[in-house]
Amino acid sequence: MEKKYLIFMGFLGVSVVFLAASITLPPISFLLIAKFVLLLLALLMDILAIMTRYYTPFLIPMMRQRSKRVVLSDENAYWLSTAQDSILRKSGEDFIATIYISIPLYRSATEMSDDEKIDFATQVSRLVSLSKDPARFTTQLYTMDKDVYIMQLREKINELENDEVKASQDGTDPKMVERLRGELSMWRNILDSITSIQSLELLTYAGVSASGTKEYEAVSIAQQKATELMSGIGAVLGVTPSIITGNDLLKFIEPEFLIPYSTVSESLTKGAGEQTGE
Amino acid sequence: MDEETIMYLAFTALITLIAIEGAGSFGKGLASSAVILLSLLTLGFLLLFTFADFVVFPLFTTLLGVSFQPVANYYIVKKQNAVVKNVNGIFYSTGYISANLFAYTFKEERVEESVEDQLRQAPEKWERAIANIHFPFKYHVVSSGMDVQKVRDELEGKRGYQEFQLSRALQSQGTNDVTITNIQRNINMIQAKIDRISQGEKPVATLMYVETTAVGISEKASLDALDAQVKQLQVALSALDVDLTRIEGRELYSLFMYSFMLPTTFEDVAAQFSQQG
Repeated sequence: MEKKYLIFMGFLGVSVVFLAASITLPPISFLLIAKFVLLLLALLMDILAIMTRYYTPFLIPMMRQRSKRVVLSDENAYWLSTAQDSILRKSGEDFIATIYISIPLYRSATEMSDDEKIDFATQVSRLVSLSKDPARFTTQLYTMDKDVYIMQLREKINELENDEVKASQDGTDPKMVERLRGELSMWRNILDSITSIQSLELLTYAGVSASGTKEYEAVSIAQQKATELMSGIGAVLGVTPSIITGNDLLKFIEPEFLIPYSTVSESLTKGAGEQTGE
Repeated sequence: MDEETIMYLAFTALITLIAIEGAGSFGKGLASSAVILLSLLTLGFLLLFTFADFVVFPLFTTLLGVSFQPVANYYIVKKQNAVVKNVNGIFYSTGYISANLFAYTFKEERVEESVEDQLRQAPEKWERAIANIHFPFKYHVVSSGMDVQKVRDELEGKRGYQEFQLSRALQSQGTNDVTITNIQRNINMIQAKIDRISQGEKPVATLMYVETTAVGISEKASLDALDAQVKQLQVALSALDVDLTRIEGRELYSLFMYSFMLPTTFEDVAAQFSQQG
């Protein structure tokens, strides 16, 4: 029997016991309070019993930990497989491997005729019904990663600032100082314009999971499912899908890769500065 | 309502009914009235929880001020409507919206309307909606193939029931034309589905939702930005004629976990989503 049913029966049983005790106690004045306390406990247990329908994973840790931050799991959400083509997670005794497939779809409705639009919508419908096992198809709009470029700009600005300070202290070549200041101003303007606008990219991908008692078993079944799905996607859309590997996977999983740190930190700092009137 | 929900409700409601029955043991007057009132309130709560647990549970956690950590580095806020991650002092809040596009584009139920028109408009509407969104978001479609025979049997059962309703409506004199038209339309819809399965189309169950992430220098800033993004998405995607409801409670937890592992069977999907999705 499933654990949640046992917990449900446990709460219900305790509720019945409290209720029976509450009803059987004689209604003498000094026992009346005890009767009411037992009744309240019975009703509380009854409420907890129905809550186990969906909330067993939340209720039990809540009762055990009795803290404002209830830890359901303090383990990492996933780890990369050795082949770096899937992410793995443990669920009970089993391992679940998930593979992400990139679908290179670069068509726009603006350049389609009416017939092509109908064909495209029909293809998408067919795409969704490709897999017998659950599969997830996603279109993702995300912030373009300009972290490397921004870092290069910042390094360049730091370098020029140092040069400018040195040249000013020397005082031998005023034209050189002017030139450095001009160049510094140019790079600062570039950095400002780069960080003031968020550039977005659109990407389509699919995901499929498989479970197994061993890591390699889960990965192998997931790979098999992914291969089947990829051939279906290729046939329906006429594109060449590919399995996403390594750090590229993080773009679909971790929010800081969806909105890269350096790309947003500058605009956030500016936004906060504007709010405080600095 | 599925059998499991009925079982949970029946057993727990029985306790409150026994309590009402036993109210007499508390003596007459105010005490027994208080027992009946408490039992009725509990019964009301049980019904509310059965049909709208996504309202009750967030209320419960908000009152207690409890937040959950589903996995390392993430936590679900006490309102149960966002998952937050703190990366070097930058807060990333993620929220979810149900967006079931199925009836609109994929599952042609309105047999009397032009399929071609809908299909032609779908890509344009989608692009127009996306053009108005200037922040990261994901549109997910989780699909799963269903057992053809089982679905066919279910549809035939539903058609039989509708036909029975129609014959009863035609026999009784007080039935108005609107009711008869509605029943006939339902029969047409079911028949259209049966025909499509007969023609070899695979029945598919889908779950569609939108995920968006907002960023801020504090938890509050990121949550405020997330609220604004969710509202903007609801406006932008409303052109697609979809029901856009913000996900709260246990379904948020399930959708969040989908980032790390997808369901492997149709039953897994069906068991987790019954109300909001």
